[in-house]
Amino acid sequence: MEAPRPAAVAMFDRIDAFVREIGETETEAALAELLTEICREMGFAYFALTHHVDLRRALGPNIRLANYPAEWIDFFDDNGLGPSDPVHRASQLTSVGFAWSRLPRLIALTPRDREVLALAGLRGIGDGFTVPAHVPGEANGSCSFATAGRTALNPDHLPQAQLVGAFAFEAARRLWHMRNPGLAPRPQLTDRQRDCVVWVARGKSDWEIARILDLSPETVAEYLKRARERYGVSKRTMLTIHALFDGAISFSDVLKH
Amino acid sequence: MVQITERVPQPLADETLRGMFEARKRVFVDLLKWDVPVLEGRFELDQFDDEHAVYLVVRGSSGEHLASARLLETERPHILDTLFPDLCAVAVPRGPAVREITRFCLDRRLSAARRLAVRNMLVSALVDHALAQGITVYTGVAEFGWLQQILAFGWRCRPLGLPTVRDRRTLGALRIEISAETPALMTRTGVYTTAGEADSIREAA
Repeated sequence: MEAPRPAAVAMFDRIDAFVREIGETETEAALAELLTEICREMGFAYFALTHHVDLRRALGPNIRLANYPAEWIDFFDDNGLGPSDPVHRASQLTSVGFAWSRLPRLIALTPRDREVLALAGLRGIGDGFTVPAHVPGEANGSCSFATAGRTALNPDHLPQAQLVGAFAFEAARRLWHMRNPGLAPRPQLTDRQRDCVVWVARGKSDWEIARILDLSPETVAEYLKRARERYGVSKRTMLTIHALFDGAISFSDVLKH
Repeated sequence: MVQITERVPQPLADETLRGMFEARKRVFVDLLKWDVPVLEGRFELDQFDDEHAVYLVVRGSSGEHLASARLLETERPHILDTLFPDLCAVAVPRGPAVREITRFCLDRRLSAARRLAVRNMLVSALVDHALAQGITVYTGVAEFGWLQQILAFGWRCRPLGLPTVRDRRTLGALRIEISAETPALMTRTGVYTTAGEADSIREAA
């Protein structure tokens, strides 16, 4: 086996030290400071570590840590870009980091997406690399790194960025759990409610679900009513979306057969 | 119930382990398309499934396989030092208190909600086993999506090297540190369940 190159070892030592440091941080500000520092060493100007929800509309507390230009963050929020940002959308489709130049190969970019990307460029954000972070039962998230102006990505730094992004997201999640004890998102449905919701997601009526699960239509209606109450929603569509979002049901539950 | 099976001279002759090897074939070969050997078209077994391996198996009320993991001794040949030494920038962790977690397997038939509960039971059993046996470090190789989930369990992890792309999969190696504070760290994330709680989850599931 070929011995690891000293440069790679030095790079790794730096990340190992970063991982130890972020493991000890007690505040988001301290984590942001450490991220800013390592971000610069990897040749990036900006980072954004976030859950992909519209932060101004989200009900629960969510994770966001970023040093993007303030002007760009405001634009992002004013336009409710959290869940529709093309970078965030692409990151739902993969579990490993991707350069933004690969976006058109990951998702079909709409005219609106191209406009968002162009506007980010105008506001001083250059090329970027996004590390997705998917934790079952929680909102999807990611940690992105971006260069300033016209600086290109340095491919040598991408494995580092992948590792830094993964560990930084978890450090932010740890702080979030410390701040919000007991709020760990958990499946909220009973098994029977869940069975019914899977069939709702497949487009079945209460009567059909009753036939399939060998229950009375009244019982099915009651299960679904309780399930909607747990999520505080009044429509079947919203019920299935919430259940998919928090992992009570999965896409494969709905799509199999 | 979590069953710990160790030092079985012929793993394939053991009923619990046979169910596990079948489940592993469904997950690692059929679903994840790993290029690993399959026996008789139904059992996934490799050279590390020998009398030195320790298996933790979560079984359902009628004995069926729900989840499992294989622990390998690190002073003997194991996955990290045999197949992926390039994933380590530092020396491969070895020693009597170091075990490698391999073939972490959640049965494909589990629904999303039950899958998380069963996964938590298996991860908790790994922690309990380490504490009972004086194991202080687990190592492991994981694809990145799974690696993020391993970090999210709440135990203390450190990378062993930079990620590497192998067969179009981005892999990383981890060192997981287990100590008396580990159960508390993992209770905070909702992952750690005591054996008693686990049995009631299993009965209800």
